Amino acid sequence: MTVASQVKQTLASLKGVQGTLRIYSTQTQDEETVSVFQEALETTSAVINDLEKRLQVLEYQEPQYKGN
Amino acid sequence: MPMWVQILYRSIALFIVVVAVAQILGKRNLTRIPPYRFISYQVIALIAALISLNVIKEVAFGLIALGVWVLFPIALDYLSLKSKRFHDLINGKERVLIKHGKIMEEGLMQTRLTGEELLRELRSKNAFNLADVEFAVMETTGEINAFLKSGKKPVTAHDLGVKTAPQAEPQTVILDGNVLNEPLASLGLNKEWLRIQLENMGVSLDNVFLGQVDSSGDLYLDLFDDAIELPQPKVKEMIYANLEKAQASLETFALETNDKNAKAMYKKNAQKLKLLMDKLNPYLLR
Repeated sequence: MTVASQVKQTLASLKGVQGTLRIYSTQTQDEETVSVFQEALETTSAVINDLEKRLQVLEYQEPQYKGN
Repeated sequence: MPMWVQILYRSIALFIVVVAVAQILGKRNLTRIPPYRFISYQVIALIAALISLNVIKEVAFGLIALGVWVLFPIALDYLSLKSKRFHDLINGKERVLIKHGKIMEEGLMQTRLTGEELLRELRSKNAFNLADVEFAVMETTGEINAFLKSGKKPVTAHDLGVKTAPQAEPQTVILDGNVLNEPLASLGLNKEWLRIQLENMGVSLDNVFLGQVDSSGDLYLDLFDDAIELPQPKVKEMIYANLEKAQASLETFALETNDKNAKAMYKKNAQKLKLLMDKLNPYLLR
């Protein structure tokens, strides 16, 4: 597995986490919990952004693996 | 009218009256009522029995007596609600039996409680050792409550310094295969949501005996058919596990890469996820 695909895998699982967190942040009743989940959403978004940028660089460096 | 018909009529009528009276007198726990209420219950029961068996020939007389014994306790309740002094007069005051770990003998005398009785009551409060009790009081209802020494109290999450997620009461949304709309609506959910959840679990509604939604919106089901194993919600644990995995991957990337900027970026984000996991731990794992 190349670095790019490893990063992609991590990115995918983080996005999965984010989606589930989003579900919980909408269906939870307690406001404190909701705010914790929302904060978590922001953090994961930031991490996902950074990873996506890095992925672009990686794909530019190893174009032969693009799309894997 | 033959006697037996008379008794039948009276009994039926009085039964209805007594049921109504019991409603009026309130739903307080019968083992924790002040003595005057206990007496009034007894007298009411007795009068009702006497009227019903035709011992009191004149129904009106019986009803007068019954009315007094019903209305006076209610009046006393209202008065003691309004005035603290009246309340103390009627109900008496609670008596301290143990203070700073020492038995107050005069308190025992006043309540006419023997040492054995005190110990028995304390044992029923799980205080087997007198040395563990800091403070004990006899309530006006005769119940004894004990306050344990700080070192002997059950440990709470607060004592351990553990953060716990706030949890509201779960709502029962399915009972006996029927959807209960009101609790569902109070959670801001609807039947459609429930239908999707059931579909995801592969269960039909009429197979569900009981369904509860906890405060985080997870559905717990109990089925009529106990042979079916249901996947119980483990989604939160999954999120946490996935976060853990992603965090570990980021650490690995940080070690593997030669690019200085990328290394810093991976490290920073791994740190971020670590903090996030610590923060989410009480919400996802407990």
